[in-house]
Amino acid sequence: MQLPEIEEIFTGSVNRVELGATRDSGGTRDSTATVGGARNVIYGGSAEQMGEKPLIAMDVLDYNPEYWPEHLAEHYRDVFKNSSDWAKKCVNEFGADLICLKFEGIHPDKANKNASDAVKVTTEVLKAVGVPLVLWGCGNDEKDNQVMPKVSEATKNENCLIGTVKEDNYKALTAVALADNHNLITEAPLDINIGKQVNILVSDMGFPLERIVTFQDTGALGYGMEYSYSIQERQRLAALGGDKMMSMPVICDVGYESWRAKEAKLADAPGWGDVKDRGPIWEAATAICLLQAGTDIIRMRHPKAVATVKNFINQIW
Amino acid sequence: MDDNKNKECTVQFEPSGIKVKVPSGTTLLEAAHRAGIYLSSICGGDGYCGKCKVIINEGRSQSRPSPLLTPEEIRGNIVLACQTKVLSDLTVTVPKSHSLDTSQVLMDADTHILSRLNKQTQEGLFEYDPLVRKLCVEMSPPTVLDHTADHERLYAAIRRQIDAPIMQTGFRVLQKLTNVLREANYKAAVTIGQRGGTTEVIQVEPGRRCKTNYAVAVDLGTTTVVAHLIDLTTAKTIDAESTYNSQMNFGEDYIRRIIYAEQTDAFDQLQECLVDDVNDLIMTMAVRQKVDLEDITAVICAGNTAMVHFLLNLDPTRIRREPYVASVGFVPPIRAAETGVQINKRGLLYCLPSVAAYIGSDIVAGVLTTRIYTKEKLSIFVDIGTNGEIVLGNEDWLVCSSSSAGPAFEGSGIKCGMRAGAGAIESLNIVNGDEIRFKTIGGGHPIGICGSGLLDTLSELFVNDIIDRTGHLKANGDSRLTEGEDGLQFQLVEPRNGHQEIAITQADINNLIRSKAGVFAAIRILMNSTQTKLEDIDAIYIAGGFGNFLNVQRAVTIGMLPDVPRTKLQFVGNTSIAGAKTSLCSQKALETAERIAESMTYFDLMGNPDYMDEFIKAKFLPHTDLSLFPSERNLKPQA
Repeated sequence: MQLPEIEEIFTGSVNRVELGATRDSGGTRDSTATVGGARNVIYGGSAEQMGEKPLIAMDVLDYNPEYWPEHLAEHYRDVFKNSSDWAKKCVNEFGADLICLKFEGIHPDKANKNASDAVKVTTEVLKAVGVPLVLWGCGNDEKDNQVMPKVSEATKNENCLIGTVKEDNYKALTAVALADNHNLITEAPLDINIGKQVNILVSDMGFPLERIVTFQDTGALGYGMEYSYSIQERQRLAALGGDKMMSMPVICDVGYESWRAKEAKLADAPGWGDVKDRGPIWEAATAICLLQAGTDIIRMRHPKAVATVKNFINQIW
Repeated sequence: MDDNKNKECTVQFEPSGIKVKVPSGTTLLEAAHRAGIYLSSICGGDGYCGKCKVIINEGRSQSRPSPLLTPEEIRGNIVLACQTKVLSDLTVTVPKSHSLDTSQVLMDADTHILSRLNKQTQEGLFEYDPLVRKLCVEMSPPTVLDHTADHERLYAAIRRQIDAPIMQTGFRVLQKLTNVLREANYKAAVTIGQRGGTTEVIQVEPGRRCKTNYAVAVDLGTTTVVAHLIDLTTAKTIDAESTYNSQMNFGEDYIRRIIYAEQTDAFDQLQECLVDDVNDLIMTMAVRQKVDLEDITAVICAGNTAMVHFLLNLDPTRIRREPYVASVGFVPPIRAAETGVQINKRGLLYCLPSVAAYIGSDIVAGVLTTRIYTKEKLSIFVDIGTNGEIVLGNEDWLVCSSSSAGPAFEGSGIKCGMRAGAGAIESLNIVNGDEIRFKTIGGGHPIGICGSGLLDTLSELFVNDIIDRTGHLKANGDSRLTEGEDGLQFQLVEPRNGHQEIAITQADINNLIRSKAGVFAAIRILMNSTQTKLEDIDAIYIAGGFGNFLNVQRAVTIGMLPDVPRTKLQFVGNTSIAGAKTSLCSQKALETAERIAESMTYFDLMGNPDYMDEFIKAKFLPHTDLSLFPSERNLKPQA
């Protein structure tokens, strides 16, 4: 007996967001990238309904992250001191679709770098690579409000993805992102309602919904991944149901979260298998799982994990 | 020091001049309590609400330092009463903001609202058939041919007038019966009361006292106790009076009071407070109306479950513990004197039935008054007090739930919040996006904001873009937006002529939004659970201690109530007392109240997995799902 084709049809879809601007559109990127566009859940419909291929944004930091575990750091030790070389390596050797410039170094508890340091790193990376950029603050509201507007200005018209804005700190960055023609990341603490509220707040300021990508705190495998999964699934279903305030593509921070897991980095645990493999597996497993919930951009760190995930994406999309 | 320990000190409270003797070392809050002086205290004396400020005029005291006092206040000898110990004879001034001069205002307004509601819902609905009545009974005296005993003679005479299949008479009445009947020449005034299906002969008096019969209806609120004196012969309210619940000294919400009572075994003390309040109200009205207490033959009470427990000195401790069960829901009629309520010695005390630990008889009274149980179409009844209780239903079914909305809309826990009394801002408008206009109760200089004013404030700040949808004050260069001692605040009224400024703080706004979110989330849970759609709702009645007047549309603007057309919204004031009064005047009404209480299905929100989700969605102005508030778009231009 032949099984009938059952296909669920949705009225809504995930917004398409184009990142990066080439010289023709006032930027300096070699190419642009588009995310979103799904009209169904993963595996839920035909190939045309899958939307754009998810993208991998590899993390580049603005300072030397000495705390990185050995088996992650060993791939970057030669470029740690120079963010532009780091970005080049990610694009040329590891095949990053996007570079996520994470300004961890501006955090007062870390290197406490200032706005001019951040702008310098940004312009160097911008020159070094041709892919679109994601520009990500340090998470300290006060410092981000000082530094990120300068970073935004320095990348004006490059159509970057800049963030993040939160429920209680969204005005400054939203205003500059609007003025400098960037796309915006709205962040919420693993709460779908607050996620939607930030989108409404930002859109109340006149920021176009079609230029927003949403971020919910990511949980790694064993550390709350199922929460991230279910929230992203709910968001995808809301988008497909036609909720305009929830129709944005989703970004996840898998790299940072996976490498916080002790399972990813603990060397002295013979029963757990070789630590050299364990870390990348942890990162890739988290990424692949979340991709199936409906993630559009994944921030990653380990080249081996990136290769695995790319392989998965190419087989599915 | 040892000498001082047992020393008696006299504390005199101004402006009332009331004095009280307390042992040295007693806190001023305790002293005020002993003196019967009300001091606002939300935290019940733990020193963190900062409401019990008083001024030390003379004498020695010792205060623990508190961050809740400004340097100016400390220089001005202002202290927190709960953190200050009496060391010598003292004179203390209680600031006006504590004072109790609200009763008149509340009464006038409530009467007004009630009469409006009465016209619509009460008149002619229940036949006049009071729970306690006086009958003029005339019997033919016994003869050799008619030697029926006096007692049976009386029963026969009563049954000629009313249908009373089962009757009983108290022993004390029986003992005096023969003499009274003979002295009155067999023309007697008989007071009879209904105790379920039984008719009790409460009192037999000489016939001339037939014409006078009074009763009192009481609303036992956590914050305010309201009483109406009712002439039972005409079923008219002839006087009304209200007072603060003096249990307030033990905490502003009843959970805190239960904890206090448990920790210090003070159940008797808490009962005494409440009974004293009720007695004071009855006495005030009786004196004013020249009514003899002996002629008041019944009291009927409605109130939240905990208050009814306190009044009857029933164990309320299970109310706050899982699985949250009350000692009693349907209280049988008892002798009022047994609780200490002073009316006719043999007068009866009735309590309207409650539904659950968190749905009290005040809510049953509300349903009775708004008549939502008689309508084919669905209505919602919302009572905003310390808890927000919601009832949804029609003639076929009723569901209810209680959300811990908090007392913000009663003015509690709000920096400049106060109850609806003289000087409270009761309505507020922002004109031309800038100028603030307001009205105070009594028309004087504003000293605080009551519930209706707070609702207006929140709504106007939102509509005029001074706060965003999360309630955050927007830094837009407005000089009224300042960093105050309690964080960011927006000034509503400038300080003038020695009056302090009135401002709303970011914390106040967050508090109000939490409160409204609790109410709306509860409404959503009830609607979702019963698959009720917005268009199915025919009417929304809102009751509670907001004040005299409520711009109900604004409750929709902020997303506290669902977005239904203005014509479907009605502010109904204090429905608790209205329902109590109706039940007093008609046995049928009391039976109906019992049926309502029995048929209401209680939805526990604490155990509902969707509640938190709905709550977070509602913690946004007006709501995260903007499609639920289509009319809000017309109010507020989209950016």
